[in-house]
Amino acid sequence: MDLQSLLQALEATALATTIRESDIAFPALESVHVIGIALVFGSIAVVDLRLLGISAHRRSALRLIHELLPFTWAAFVTCVITGSLMFAANATTYAQNPMFLWKMGMLVLAGLNMAVFHLGAFRRISEWDTALPPPGAARFAGVSSMALWVSVVFLGRWIAFV
Amino acid sequence: MSSLPVIDWLYATPVSSGIRDLLWVVPTVQSVHILAIAVIFGSAVISDLRLAGVFATDESVRGVVRRYYPWMRAALLLLLGTGVIMAVGEPDRVLVNSVFWLKMGLVVLAFSMAWRVRRPYLRPLATSHGTEPQPVRAFAWLSIALWCVVIICGRWIAYAI
Repeated sequence: MDLQSLLQALEATALATTIRESDIAFPALESVHVIGIALVFGSIAVVDLRLLGISAHRRSALRLIHELLPFTWAAFVTCVITGSLMFAANATTYAQNPMFLWKMGMLVLAGLNMAVFHLGAFRRISEWDTALPPPGAARFAGVSSMALWVSVVFLGRWIAFV
Repeated sequence: MSSLPVIDWLYATPVSSGIRDLLWVVPTVQSVHILAIAVIFGSAVISDLRLAGVFATDESVRGVVRRYYPWMRAALLLLLGTGVIMAVGEPDRVLVNSVFWLKMGLVVLAFSMAWRVRRPYLRPLATSHGTEPQPVRAFAWLSIALWCVVIICGRWIAYAI
């Protein structure tokens, strides 16, 4: 099956059809998606600002990351679920939307950026945990993360405008 | 669709036309609005969960509340600013919309409540408790729920036209 047929088949499923034809399903999914976005970006921003040397509500960067990451993950999963359902309802249309495709690309980059941080500067966090300012690698991770997630938000909003 | 004179007047102003004619303005302003939502909601959730006694309990309530309140206030100003731009640009979409006015009422309620609950901790000499007294904890959870309803109303504006 080629991609186009797959997307059409996805759109034709009972679930996707119900969402597409319902008056309240899409607004409800969008609303939950926005709440998820707010928590993803909000929690990531607190950590990223800490990586830039702007302290949050505690001194230790490690403890901050540990206590906020569960929220980030739960919110991100919520966004993936709501996003997937919205995508399914109009799969063929979204797959051709450049803003949507760029947004997906940015999400991949954001994930890669996080992985680089976790395998790099984060491994040595005991050396800079309560130090301000943090080391260059941590600061770079903070800036790049903020830039990538801000792009994700902008691209996500622009989907509806192209 | 209604056309109150003030809306027609506003719609015809150069500012309003400019916002609509420059196609990048509305989506960009909306995106900034969403980022500010993330700041206010994230700050509210963190400080409300501390007030409720379920998050960062090793840090003082006073410290957590004082850390995030300025961000909530700054985000609110940015939300109002971007909101005004959106209302000026599309007054016909927003100003006769009952969901929009419901949202405005809930924003006033949510922020007044948030400020009222935080006020004791924002004063120079704040008392600290082992656990915050009950009204405070209940209001903290209510606050989180209210902000969620505000967000839902925000999205629903587009569907109530």
